[in-house]
Amino acid sequence: MSPTDFSFEPAYIVVAVVAAAAYAWAARGDRPSRLRVASFATGAFLVAAALNSPLETIAAKRLLLVHLLQNALVADIAPALVLLGLTPAMKTWLTRHGASRIRARWAILAWLAAWYGTHLAGFYNWALDTGWALNIEHGLLIAGGLLFWWPLVSGRLSAPPALAYLGAGFVASSFLGLAFIFSSHPFYSFYEHAPRLWGFSAIRDQNLGGIAMNGEQTLVFLVAIGWYVSRLLAEESAQER
Amino acid sequence: MLPVALAVVAALLFAQGMVRLRQRGRADIAGWDRAALFGLGLAVTVVALVGPLDRLAETKYLSVHMLQHVLIGDLAPALMVVAVRGPLLVFLLPAQVLAPLARSARLRAVLSTALQPRIAFGLWAANLAIWHVPYLYDLALRHDSVHYFEHACWVVTGLIVWTLLVDPGSHRRLTVGGRIALAAAMFAAGQVLTDVLVFSFHPLYPAYPGRTDQQLAGIAMMAEQIVTLGTLAFVLLRPRMRAARLVHA
Repeated sequence: MSPTDFSFEPAYIVVAVVAAAAYAWAARGDRPSRLRVASFATGAFLVAAALNSPLETIAAKRLLLVHLLQNALVADIAPALVLLGLTPAMKTWLTRHGASRIRARWAILAWLAAWYGTHLAGFYNWALDTGWALNIEHGLLIAGGLLFWWPLVSGRLSAPPALAYLGAGFVASSFLGLAFIFSSHPFYSFYEHAPRLWGFSAIRDQNLGGIAMNGEQTLVFLVAIGWYVSRLLAEESAQER
Repeated sequence: MLPVALAVVAALLFAQGMVRLRQRGRADIAGWDRAALFGLGLAVTVVALVGPLDRLAETKYLSVHMLQHVLIGDLAPALMVVAVRGPLLVFLLPAQVLAPLARSARLRAVLSTALQPRIAFGLWAANLAIWHVPYLYDLALRHDSVHYFEHACWVVTGLIVWTLLVDPGSHRRLTVGGRIALAAAMFAAGQVLTDVLVFSFHPLYPAYPGRTDQQLAGIAMMAEQIVTLGTLAFVLLRPRMRAARLVHA
């Protein structure tokens, strides 16, 4: 199979379409701004496109680097964008229908469990060998991402606890990327035997994957931390007035 | 031996300030916990600059050199500034020395400029960036005088930013949010350097050819910042988190 061929995880096309339909239906009574629509659409598109394109072919057949980048997209960026696209009324509806039970301390643990659990060698190799189990891996990562971002996006956390939450998430999740960066032997037998691409050895592929993962997380978390620091400053200046 | 001599002078100044405050019956603000913190800060500086750590830093490992820099430019200043917060700060210098210094308009102007948050951060970030330019890094390794100057820059810029972060004299140059913002900006700037060191596949400094060593140097920087700035952020945010929890309840 050529690396430029398309591969599909059709379940996530269905998920993206159903989510978009639900969003359009909810938007009838509560019109979202263009920015929110763009955010939601980009998040849904990232999930569908990352898992149904040549990216999926390279990730599932050739390079760990691309697979880790794909995971970072669907676990970190896409869920945040989807949730940022919700209007206050949509968030209230979700809160009334079970989301109020999501506590920050459990959400972060669930996210970390999904993040580390799906990257365990046994699970990762099994998902790659079977192919269909990649759906489970990506489902867990998306669900973990949605859980992680919900306490922030829902407004449950004010700026100080949100900063602590983001700081804890950044530190706790960074060890996986660092393990990939500093490893001197391949973690996943699947990629050891996979046909190489772009001249990367299995170990260079893994090191680069860690770099991509850490770089993406650093960027996402610093942006989020910056946002909450600016909110903290705004709250203080409002109190002073 | 210059670091040891300076550490002895600093220890003597701290001791006389502590004794004077205790003689006035203010042991509550000049307790042994402060002495322990200040002593720890001095010990960190001396251990980093004298002995095996310094030899390893200069001759073998970039990661140890980075550790040395963050110890003298971050952890040690943080510990010492925390130790002297409150009246101890004023008592640190004998009255005969403090009075003429306090009257010096030029010194006051320099200090008040350096302690403006944007200037302080700019100085700190410039110090971080400039001394990691490979040419200057190499120059400092080849010339002792440049190396001493480099270390002095780390200590001074560290003391300036930690004075703003801890606010030992209660000058309130920054609000709590402002201090968190400064800490976040320092972490973000440090992260840029960390990423350059960790994500680079070629050694950047001729004196240190190891790639893993270079990546470890980046991690040393990140880990130390997480510990120092993370602790500060936790201490600053904790009362607000409690308040937020009470409001929520």
